[in-house]
Amino acid sequence: MSRSRLELLQWFGLFGGALAWTLQHVVGYGISDSGCSVAGAQWDLHAAALQATLSLVTGAVVVAAWVAAFVAFRETRAIDADAPGPSGRIHFFAQAALLGNVLFLVIVVLDGVSSIYHLPCRQS
Amino acid sequence: MAVVAPAPERTHIENLERVWRERPGVLGWLTTVDHKRIGLLYFWTTIVFFAAGGLEALLMRTQLATADQRVIGPETYDQLMTMHGVTMIFFFIIPMTTGAFGNYLVPLMIGARDMAFPRLNALSYWIFLGAGIFMYSSFLVHQAPNAGWFDYVPLALRRYDGGLNVDFYALGLIFNTVASTIGALNLIVTIFKLRAPGMSWNRMPLFCFAMLAASLSLIFALPALTTDCIFLELQRKLGFHFFDNAHGGDALLWQHLFWIFGHPEVYIIVLPAFGIATSIIPTFARHRMVAFPLVAMAELLVAFIGFGVWAHHMFATGIASTTLAFFAAASMMVVIPSTIQIYAWLMTVNIGTPEFRAPLMFIGGFILFFVIGGLSGIMFAAIPFDQATTDTYFVVAHFHFIIFGAAVFPLLGGIYYWFPKVTGRMYDERLAQLSFWLTFAGTTLTFFPMHIVGLLGMTRRVYTYDHGLGWDAYNLLETIGGYILAGGLLLIAFNIARSYRRAVPAGRDPFNGGTLEWTTTSPPPHYNFAVIPTVSSPYPNWDERDREEDLRRLARGDLVLDVGHETPESTVNDALPSAIAEMPPESPWPILVALTLTIAFFLLLTSHYATAGGFFALTVLTLAGWNAQEPNEVAA
Amino acid sequence: MTAAALPVHQARAKGWWGMVVFVTTEATLFGTLVGTYVYLRFHNAHWPPQQLPKPPVLTPTLLTAALVTTSVAGHIASRAVSNAQRERAWRSLAAVFAVQLVYLVWQLHDYVHTIHVYKPQASAWASVYVTLLGADHAHVFVGVLLSAWFLVRIRSRLSRYRVVGVQAAAFYWHAVNVITLVVLGVQLSPYL
Repeated sequence: MSRSRLELLQWFGLFGGALAWTLQHVVGYGISDSGCSVAGAQWDLHAAALQATLSLVTGAVVVAAWVAAFVAFRETRAIDADAPGPSGRIHFFAQAALLGNVLFLVIVVLDGVSSIYHLPCRQS
Repeated sequence: MAVVAPAPERTHIENLERVWRERPGVLGWLTTVDHKRIGLLYFWTTIVFFAAGGLEALLMRTQLATADQRVIGPETYDQLMTMHGVTMIFFFIIPMTTGAFGNYLVPLMIGARDMAFPRLNALSYWIFLGAGIFMYSSFLVHQAPNAGWFDYVPLALRRYDGGLNVDFYALGLIFNTVASTIGALNLIVTIFKLRAPGMSWNRMPLFCFAMLAASLSLIFALPALTTDCIFLELQRKLGFHFFDNAHGGDALLWQHLFWIFGHPEVYIIVLPAFGIATSIIPTFARHRMVAFPLVAMAELLVAFIGFGVWAHHMFATGIASTTLAFFAAASMMVVIPSTIQIYAWLMTVNIGTPEFRAPLMFIGGFILFFVIGGLSGIMFAAIPFDQATTDTYFVVAHFHFIIFGAAVFPLLGGIYYWFPKVTGRMYDERLAQLSFWLTFAGTTLTFFPMHIVGLLGMTRRVYTYDHGLGWDAYNLLETIGGYILAGGLLLIAFNIARSYRRAVPAGRDPFNGGTLEWTTTSPPPHYNFAVIPTVSSPYPNWDERDREEDLRRLARGDLVLDVGHETPESTVNDALPSAIAEMPPESPWPILVALTLTIAFFLLLTSHYATAGGFFALTVLTLAGWNAQEPNEVAA
Repeated sequence: MTAAALPVHQARAKGWWGMVVFVTTEATLFGTLVGTYVYLRFHNAHWPPQQLPKPPVLTPTLLTAALVTTSVAGHIASRAVSNAQRERAWRSLAAVFAVQLVYLVWQLHDYVHTIHVYKPQASAWASVYVTLLGADHAHVFVGVLLSAWFLVRIRSRLSRYRVVGVQAAAFYWHAVNVITLVVLGVQLSPYL
């Protein structure tokens, strides 16, 4: 595998899932808050459909990031943990991303399910 | 290093001493740009604020010891309660962890001779001092901030709190934010660019990962607080509308912006403590940290996910459950990285051959308190439970277990651990262990009963309470605990002072620590390293071949860089050498900039806007003078 | 400088990275201001309030378009100092300074008028609008100061410190241009 491809996989693995969750969190919060507020009442927001789409798209990106991290991890499996950069560093970040993206996927799923499941605009 | 170095090494060391030496006396301290001296300035100043915050706490606890007391009246109590929180968070723990520990240790651990921007480093300290003086001057006019450390509107608006109290709060925090931002910026660029050649990310010590995570969080979190405080002052002083619903604003806007800052802030508080723990554990367990990449990532993940949980401080405000669900989900998941770290720490101690000396005992106490505080915290992620216990002492118990138990205990352990390095003298081990037990007992007795009395309905921020509610005994226990805790802390201070006077030599490396600070003399020389170290792992002091290579390089004059005030710059990811950085010598500009800014903020406080503008302009001119004085260029 | 010749890799100087981190803080600050605008928009039936005229867009759009061109001159200046082309860098800096100064003076004149018409003391919309615009103008003002300062500094000679300074300043100008585009977007949003 070419060096630049490996780098791309590692960086996407490290940041892709994180940014995808961030997008879902900010936009999802915005959809829910606006849908239940003064201005939102004037628009015809299909909140549930929007939230579902958002969750599926961002969830897919998180999964892709995990796969990218896994490929980078496998490519560098023989590298020693203390090896110098770039291979040592790529191996290190690939492992880190394997952990991170699992967490982000769980949050995206929890967010997606609950944003559809709860009765809209009801106080807790 | 040999006691008498051979001739070429001695010349190099003489050159380095001559170049990096600073002026003696008070003037030297006022113009210092040495990260170790700045770290010590931060340390002593934050200790003073710690004592102030502790005194405020003891006064509150004395007032609350029994029901229906009037030792302290409600107005004074409000000011004490607010200033206790403001002091401990903004003027003690953050500057202590980032300014004292971060400043002193990060350059040493990465093999650099100073922080990336030495004069900026000094500036962050002097601004912090100015902001602290600004905030505390409020007591002199009996108008200390009094609306709680999070200063909710509408209580904080001019209509309900018309004196200078809230203006001191808002302007003081904006001012202090400048110091914290500069400090965080410096740590980030130092960690990115000044790592010794060869120290790629996978070879960087975990302490530095923790400081990086905390600093990145500060950069992204502080602007929300700044905006909030600017909005508040614009509304209070100029009649703008941000927080009143009648004119299209929203009272909850304050809370959103505050907690977008405030929640990452608590991770900023605890992350350096994790960093200290991950330094102490491998040393005393005599084993590398288990699952190193996962622990490093966990520190970054806690910081990152922590940005998504802020509205869990607002579960009782009536926001729709579809909205709150996002925050509940993130709040539940943010626990996972911390849990991974706990398992890694425990496994490392288990697999290793642990030596239970005082620093490790403080970490043991830290882990116990962190687990208890973390469990009560995860209970709050369940919205119904949170709504029942919001604003009760159950919350106070939770965050004190975390802030005191999980953030301060590692600090205390760290003080013992690095005392030999900073002073060259060894602390008294038996007294240190006694001081641990006393502090541990005091902490438990002060904060554990708060869980119970909170569930029994005692609300926060009350200056007294009625007889017959069943709260009396718990409050009395907590007050006694507070005095015991104070005793424990005083015993630590006494041990440090006495050990300093007795001056038992500690040597270069009394504990066989793994990181680079243990390769230097105790205390380290001004220039930190005679030769920029060779690095092949996150535990360079355990790599004997590399340390031997350093001696050979010193003899050859390789990477000694003794011609000017020099340290190497390297690339961000793989630490490949990229330049030689010329560092500035001591400078009067930082303290002058801080002085003009302090005056400007006092003028803003008293609504003298034009004159304040003049002093801001003077600040800009002083910055120009600063920039005009370039670090000496060295002919190639 | 060093006895052994280290293979030296091309990389951005630490001063440049310092500006990147500083810009990140400022961009986040603008994020909170724009976020406030969006948040309060949800909480109001009419935003801007019905009794207020919609904010002007022609002048801000033209002025912003002019300002954004300083990124070209700024980039040229940054490349020129890296290649030790002092004269070329100075001319490009002068172009940046001139455009920024004209932009700022014009905008500040309009800003005073805006405050009188939209009265922040009367509505939250005007409070947020005026604060957002004021923050942007303040940041352009700092850009003007940086341009002026380096015009003076590189008049005589270049040093490594000054070269990194110009590179860092160029990054700042790019960032402020992006932020000004975002602010323009907020000004245009009532028309969308």
